[in-house]
Amino acid sequence: MTMAEILQYVHKDAFLHRLHPYTKIFFIILVTVMAIIATDIPFLILMVIALLAFAAYGNVLSESLNQLKLILVMSVIFILITVITMPNGETIGYVIPQGVPLVGGLIPITVGGLMIGVVLTLRFMILIFAFQLFLISTQPRDIVHAMEKIRVPIDYILMFIIALRFIPTLQIEGQRIHEAQLARGFNPGTGVLGKVRSVSPIVIPLVSNALLRSNVLGLTIDMRGYRTGKRTHVRERVFEKRDYAVMTVMVVAGCGFVALVLARMV
Amino acid sequence: MIELTDVSYTYPHTVQPALHRVSLSLKKGRCVMVTGPSGAGKTSLCLAASGILYHEYGGKKEGTVIVDKKNVSEYKSLSDLAQNVGVVFDDAEAQMIFTTVEEELLSALEHRGLSAEVIEERLDGIIRTTYLDEIRDRSPHHLSGGQKQRVALAATLALGNDILILDEPTSELDEHATQRIAEILAELKNQGKTILLVEHKYHHFRDMVDTLVILENGAITASGNPVTVLEDTRIRGMIFPDFSTIRKAVPKPSGSDPVISVQNLSHSYGDVPALSGINLTIHRGEFVAIVGENGSGKTTLVKHFNQLLSPTGGDVIINGRNTKECSIADLAHHVGLVFQNPDHMFFADTVLEEIAYGVKNLDIGNGDAVIDAALRDAGLSEMAGLYPRWLSRGERQRLAIACVVAMQPGIIVLDEPTTGLDGYEARMVIDMLKNLQEKGHTIIIITHNREIAEHCADRIIVMENGRIITDSEGA
Repeated sequence: MTMAEILQYVHKDAFLHRLHPYTKIFFIILVTVMAIIATDIPFLILMVIALLAFAAYGNVLSESLNQLKLILVMSVIFILITVITMPNGETIGYVIPQGVPLVGGLIPITVGGLMIGVVLTLRFMILIFAFQLFLISTQPRDIVHAMEKIRVPIDYILMFIIALRFIPTLQIEGQRIHEAQLARGFNPGTGVLGKVRSVSPIVIPLVSNALLRSNVLGLTIDMRGYRTGKRTHVRERVFEKRDYAVMTVMVVAGCGFVALVLARMV
Repeated sequence: MIELTDVSYTYPHTVQPALHRVSLSLKKGRCVMVTGPSGAGKTSLCLAASGILYHEYGGKKEGTVIVDKKNVSEYKSLSDLAQNVGVVFDDAEAQMIFTTVEEELLSALEHRGLSAEVIEERLDGIIRTTYLDEIRDRSPHHLSGGQKQRVALAATLALGNDILILDEPTSELDEHATQRIAEILAELKNQGKTILLVEHKYHHFRDMVDTLVILENGAITASGNPVTVLEDTRIRGMIFPDFSTIRKAVPKPSGSDPVISVQNLSHSYGDVPALSGINLTIHRGEFVAIVGENGSGKTTLVKHFNQLLSPTGGDVIINGRNTKECSIADLAHHVGLVFQNPDHMFFADTVLEEIAYGVKNLDIGNGDAVIDAALRDAGLSEMAGLYPRWLSRGERQRLAIACVVAMQPGIIVLDEPTTGLDGYEARMVIDMLKNLQEKGHTIIIITHNREIAEHCADRIIVMENGRIITDSEGA
């Protein structure tokens, strides 16, 4: 079932779950800004470790690590791209060994390219982990409430919530369609063109069924009055002591970060 | 509470009306059940009676619809109508927007202008009525079909309306889950709700239905007290399909020729055991029914026959070859699998191309003749040029079978082939399977329908918790 849980809320009663959505939104913004400004590799690694520690404290570490495989694949791609496109500084090796005739030694691995790749990868990791922490620990209903209060139009909020909500549904449906076509001798195809063509037996049913479903979904939203904007406030999260505590820690961390930036240390 | 007078409706870009001069009256506290073949316009009727058709759809509309003493045109919008009518659509999954059951219900409740105390009170009441207490913190992808339907129903109840319209709430459910929905609806009727129910499974709801309406080709062909309506033998056959005459004297398989041999098979999804200690031999030409509750391992078992799943332990031998040594594509020549939902396979522009897909994949010689024969057997020859998704559910089901039959596998496995079909359509599907058996195919069906199992199969296998508990000759 782990496949089906990309970016999904996981019901638990733990530290992160009890925080107010605003605290967590502020957390994402802070982490994002820090990750984008910082270029110091040890500092970024420290941030990744801090995020994972935070996840562990909130009892959602295993859920956070669900996407590790995807992150690692993306990392390799990032590093390859920067090594190829942004050579800079001392050459420490070659993507294709020099001994290979004709193409050998054409793509040098440089220290500069490698460094940029690693920085990008770490930033990517930090953003994914932070965003995941927020989604795993915040009920969509609370997200709706929080966003409504800061005047985000309800239609946009619903779009966001629904896009996330139906990821597992589409995954499961895609799996079923794939099995149905395999049983009909579906052949994944070879070569770029073959691959593209062979996608249609999977994608067409998936999209057609999703369109039908979206019709019912739209009617349901209207019938339940989600778009009217009128609402009774029940079981709403309030700012509690722990929120103030976390906010204080984040403000201090933010100030510390600014100081480090001014001192040109990160 | 709901009054339809001479309602006709034609969808945009179509010629054939979906509803034709339909008149229907639903009195307070009563239950009207609408039934009929797939594609007869039952869903359109639900949309018309709830006012959704008037407010959300284009096309040609005639006649008047009165909801709670007001013409639907007098309601300002759908949200306005939703103050009076609650609709449960057939696709339960699409009616779940939030990530836990309780959250779903709370979200529906908090838009009704109630006080916080009333909301909590109503939430508890609804959860009790729909038996959702144990699963209130579950997310949609961890719910069974029956649970999802109960959540969709509960979220509609949260609106607190007196009128409920339900479009096939039990079509994908097994007997047990259907019975549960029937009990909940009976209780709601006792509480004074007015119910319009579109259903095939009359026998589960017979005690609560006041008026039975038969809808065919968009028109009402019979309506009234269920006992009177059911006196008509043709209508009886639609609602209580008669499979007793279906058994043909197919020569008993010789018994020497096992096509499937399952030896001590077990399978687990991660840590969750789904099958254990399955031993099974199926001979050429047998018609086998596998029955059991949802989650008993029926689908998991048949997916091993064409290697969509590999055994965690034990072996599956198909026509003398261990599936571990075969690819899915190899096995597609021997085993055809028709899944429950035909819409998971259609992608081509025409019925003909849809059937041709599998034939081409397997490089079957004499393709055109094979495709023609499959079309004819399925009764779809006249529809060869149509877009598959335009067909009715019954026709789509037969097309799905035709797609697999054209690939000429000796063994044909079908998962719930009569889902969502009326009596005659179900009978057509079963007749088609019987004919295939006569031609020498081995047929294995998974079904909730005891009657089909008992009357059509030579052998009934009952599964429970991933084990075979009985394996007996049919009646």
